[in-house]
Amino acid sequence: MKLKSETVVNTNQAKEVKERKDHYSTLHRRFVFLTTVCLLVPLFLVGLGIHIYYSGFSRTRMESYFKSQVEYHRRIIELFLKERTSDLQVVAFTNSLDFLRRPLNLRRIFNVINREDWFFTDLGVIDDKGRHLAYIGPYDLMGKNYSQTFWFKEVMKKGIYISDMFLGFRKAPHFIIAVLRSDGNRKWILRASIDTEYFRSLVENVKMGRTGDVYLSNREGILQTTPRFSGKIMEKAPLPAKFFHEEMGIGILDADKDDPSQQFPRQFVAYAWLKNPRWRLVIKQDYSEAFKDVNHANRAALIFLQLSLILIFIISVISTRYMIKVIKKRDEKTDQLNRQLVQASKLASLGELSAGVAHEINNPLAIILTENQVIRDSVEEALIMDEKFKIELFASLSQIDAQVQRCSLITQNLLRFSRRTKSRTETVNINLFLEEVIQLMEGRAKGMGIQFSTDMEKGLPLLLSDPSQLQQVFLNLITNAIDAHEGKPYGTISITTRSNNQSQGVEIIVGDTGSGISPENMGKIFDPFFTTKSVGRGTGLGLSISYSTVKRLGGDISVQSKMGEGTRFSIFLPFRPSIDVHENLNNVSIKNSSSIEKGA
Amino acid sequence: MRGPRILLVDDEIAFANNIVKLLTKRGYDVMAVNDGASAIRAIGEKEFDVVILDMKMPVMNGIDTLKEIKKKEPLIEVVILTGHGSIESGVEGMQLGAFDFIMKPISIDDLNEKVHQAYQRKLSEEERIKQKNYVG
Repeated sequence: MKLKSETVVNTNQAKEVKERKDHYSTLHRRFVFLTTVCLLVPLFLVGLGIHIYYSGFSRTRMESYFKSQVEYHRRIIELFLKERTSDLQVVAFTNSLDFLRRPLNLRRIFNVINREDWFFTDLGVIDDKGRHLAYIGPYDLMGKNYSQTFWFKEVMKKGIYISDMFLGFRKAPHFIIAVLRSDGNRKWILRASIDTEYFRSLVENVKMGRTGDVYLSNREGILQTTPRFSGKIMEKAPLPAKFFHEEMGIGILDADKDDPSQQFPRQFVAYAWLKNPRWRLVIKQDYSEAFKDVNHANRAALIFLQLSLILIFIISVISTRYMIKVIKKRDEKTDQLNRQLVQASKLASLGELSAGVAHEINNPLAIILTENQVIRDSVEEALIMDEKFKIELFASLSQIDAQVQRCSLITQNLLRFSRRTKSRTETVNINLFLEEVIQLMEGRAKGMGIQFSTDMEKGLPLLLSDPSQLQQVFLNLITNAIDAHEGKPYGTISITTRSNNQSQGVEIIVGDTGSGISPENMGKIFDPFFTTKSVGRGTGLGLSISYSTVKRLGGDISVQSKMGEGTRFSIFLPFRPSIDVHENLNNVSIKNSSSIEKGA
Repeated sequence: MRGPRILLVDDEIAFANNIVKLLTKRGYDVMAVNDGASAIRAIGEKEFDVVILDMKMPVMNGIDTLKEIKKKEPLIEVVILTGHGSIESGVEGMQLGAFDFIMKPISIDDLNEKVHQAYQRKLSEEERIKQKNYVG
């Protein structure tokens, strides 16, 4: 039956342990999840906010930069064209046709207008029939008639004309500026072509990074300069024309997914239309390069975020582990307290039980003892001559007597054990008292091969103290001393008393030859619940109770120990404790009795 | 000469019988009763020198019995029998005028001596009163 109930207890315990473990691991997971989420959400929000703000900010900055660049550059190009036009106008309007027809004069003027830089490729004078009257330049165009060309018609109509790029008679891409002069009823045209390379370098004179590009295209989207990437002069521009419907614009252009010819990386594009000629200036840069800083910042933020995530996770795991450890410790302490409570109430009921048993046994013992005496009297009076029989009978009766006394001693001790909780101040002969305590423990000590040796000072004054509490103190100390000999075949517990006149009290030294206390445990031995004994054997309360009891009795307790050699507890008890100690004792007795009632 | 007259009050009949036997053999005139009420009655009917009184009895306990006895016959000496666990009741009994207390289980020699001492005191007390009356 007992075995069965123990197995049930064991399986219950195993189940409980498993449940605890599951509980802790669930708790662990939840804590880690919660702390991680709690820490990550604000981090993400802050990160997102910064990202949005910074992206918007850098985009605006980039846009305004592109805008100012395209605007500025447009003005430069327009200014250049205007200047060149006015160059021609000045020449046309300050010189007569006759003067300009002479090649020498024309060359001189050509050199003058090209003095600053090589703006013009050639310069020619053309009459109103489209025939070349004079020409300075690298091409042989003297015999050409332009009357059917588009630009001739335009200049005759408008007076000033800047053409788009065209191939013309020279079969090379160029554009011309032509100025019409009406001199009386004679009309003639001064025409110059702009150096294509010079113009290109002028247009391209914008620094736009590695992927940046600048070019001009006309209304039909035909390139007027050769871009750095994709496309050549006079070809179709690489960007769709639909994008450029406003006077000036800026935006992001994605590749057309449906049209394989329109495959290019995402572009950041700014454009502006020139007034005359109607060309558009396009500045573009790969989106990734334009927003390199933002992307870089984003990448850095992402790395930072990932690192934070890892860090947060580690921190939450570590802190959770610590927390679980604390909870575990607290749970264990609670369990231990519960166990001790159970043990204490068990002890209390055991005390009551033993008191009852002792009382009940005392009566039959008294009867046996008197009965023994009756037999003794009867035998003495009877006429029994057999002396040997008489002697044997008396020996047996003496033995009965001795055994009854022994039983009586046991019941006395049981009663004393049950009385331990009652507190009262009495005079105590400490030497006799200690002998009694030793008697109580002698049986147990003998079983473990331990002897008691006493050295008690004779004639010590009586102590005023609570014998039941003192008994508990010394029982605890001696129990510990006996337990300290575990694993040793024999040992000695020495108990010494001597008066301590200086302090008006008695010093009692309980020494043992046991295993001793390790230095790291030395500071903890009086702490409640500290024990080095195996679970279920020691409550860890003995020494702490002893300590508080001795203090309450107005005394002091100290310990010296050497590992492997033994331990010495010195207890000082005053002969006459002060008045408040008495009061303390009375309070304690009330407290004790109430706690026992509760325990019972 | 008659021996000292003893009244034994104990609810354990076997114990009481043994004590009667032992004390009779030692020259006492012993009567035993098993409860407090009978004891009070006995004192009213007969004269006693010493009462041996057990403390733990049902109905009327030792202390109450002691009070009654002392009220009726203040000169009777009382020796109290107590268990080890109830020394307090022994002490209380002495405060109420008992001669002494003795702890169970008792040895007959100890009891004999205590009863003898109690008897001696009673005799000397009677003597003192007699003298006092004579002088008075």
